[in-house]
Amino acid sequence: MSSTTTRKFHKDRGLVARMYFTMVMLGFLYAVFALFLLASGTPLIFIGGIVGVMLVVQYYMSDRLILMSTGAKQVSAEQEPALHRMIKTLADRYEMPMPKVAVIDTAIPNAFATGRNPKNALVAVTTGIQQRLSERELQAVIGHELAHVANRDMRVLAIANFLVTLTSFLMTMLFWNMLFGGMGGRRSNGGGGIMMVYLVTIVVYFIGQLLVLALTRYREYGADHTGAEISGDPGALADALEKISGTVAKIPDKDLRKLQTANAFLIIPAALKGQGSMNLFSTHPPLQERIKRLRELEQRMRYGLR
Amino acid sequence: MGWFGGSKAPKSDWSALSTVIKAEAKLQSLGEITPSRRAGIIYRDSDDNAFLQDIETELNTALYQGVGATKTAFEIKDDDRGMRWIVLDDGKFDDLVSSVYTVGNAINANGAGDKLLAAVFELYFTGTVEDNTYRSSLCTYWIYRYDRRAFYPFVPTGESEGDRDRPTEARLGSDLRRHGLIVEKSLTEWMGLWGIPF
Repeated sequence: MSSTTTRKFHKDRGLVARMYFTMVMLGFLYAVFALFLLASGTPLIFIGGIVGVMLVVQYYMSDRLILMSTGAKQVSAEQEPALHRMIKTLADRYEMPMPKVAVIDTAIPNAFATGRNPKNALVAVTTGIQQRLSERELQAVIGHELAHVANRDMRVLAIANFLVTLTSFLMTMLFWNMLFGGMGGRRSNGGGGIMMVYLVTIVVYFIGQLLVLALTRYREYGADHTGAEISGDPGALADALEKISGTVAKIPDKDLRKLQTANAFLIIPAALKGQGSMNLFSTHPPLQERIKRLRELEQRMRYGLR
Repeated sequence: MGWFGGSKAPKSDWSALSTVIKAEAKLQSLGEITPSRRAGIIYRDSDDNAFLQDIETELNTALYQGVGATKTAFEIKDDDRGMRWIVLDDGKFDDLVSSVYTVGNAINANGAGDKLLAAVFELYFTGTVEDNTYRSSLCTYWIYRYDRRAFYPFVPTGESEGDRDRPTEARLGSDLRRHGLIVEKSLTEWMGLWGIPF
């Protein structure tokens, strides 16, 4: 990762350390895997060719691919003056060029940013999120998305994702190879050897996925943090997340006196449930955890606590 | 509260109730909270229970006699939804919490624990609310449910059922949790109490 731009915000150091650790682990894993493939006799040119093509496609086409797949339509300053003005103000604060702006026509509240670097960035919001959030909250959400661009998260994740995609491709290829007895002039290697390759590929793929997901989560916290430092208002994003996730709507209309059996002996420790293992697999950290961290940051900024 | 998100269930009402003392002190020192003098215990009255039938005398004993008695003033009120309230009045917040515990414990010890619904503390909150305006001295209630052994904030905006400031409640709830209060995690259990008679 290059960090040529001067930044007015400092990073969360622990977070950065964990991100680099994950990246190093990922790199190490793929190096081992490549050696293993090489040792098993897969043609080198074949591997290299696929790597090259996929890397180029993913790196340079990703914004267009995303636009196509989400139905986002790029909008001009004339079409969406308020949105453009808001994004321009934020981009100036991040000291980055004005990104492209797109709108997705759906009631589902969401927003994303893409682009391999700040010069090629695109920010998209849904009409649903525009309607539902206040200006302060929408600003916080877009600030979070621009933080992803400033931190070059798309590049990092594109590379990490690419490596996992490559592995899965090779896995399929090897499986095919195993079933139909080799492609090209490969020497027979014995069923046991191929079985080993196959098993190792699965394990590598699985661990790779977990590492990419962990990386994504750290990036998410990082963008929350950066966005909050730029805006100076961490509470705004917390409010927006609460509103979008609909957690607030869960608070009932019901009066406690309508509860029929208040039984003091039946204690359901609902205040105390564990989080479960879903955490490990989800790309975004649990909302509660993100909101909690933002609220802590809010307190620290408000009272100057450390 | 631990690093791994797991925490243990409170063993008794006291271990849960007492967390309000620290949370209140912390928020008060930050200038966000001012306690009122009042708290209430809401329960379903029962003709079959001798203790509840003689509640005034029993409370005089529980709150006024013995070493370390808090001598908290109390009043019995019936609300329009068929429930009875013990309204406590004490300028010292620690004593108010102790008295709430003492009363609940006495009712529980005399076989009417299943009649207890909730304990409610009244506090004034200063901060940003739903419409993003800053309010000083906004009246809030911190409700402790006996069946869940957990607290949650309640900010009514009117007298009829459903009138409440949910975003402010959510925000206050996470604030309180951070400062050590045992907060009910399931938001669907945050049931309101409209028309609190104090």
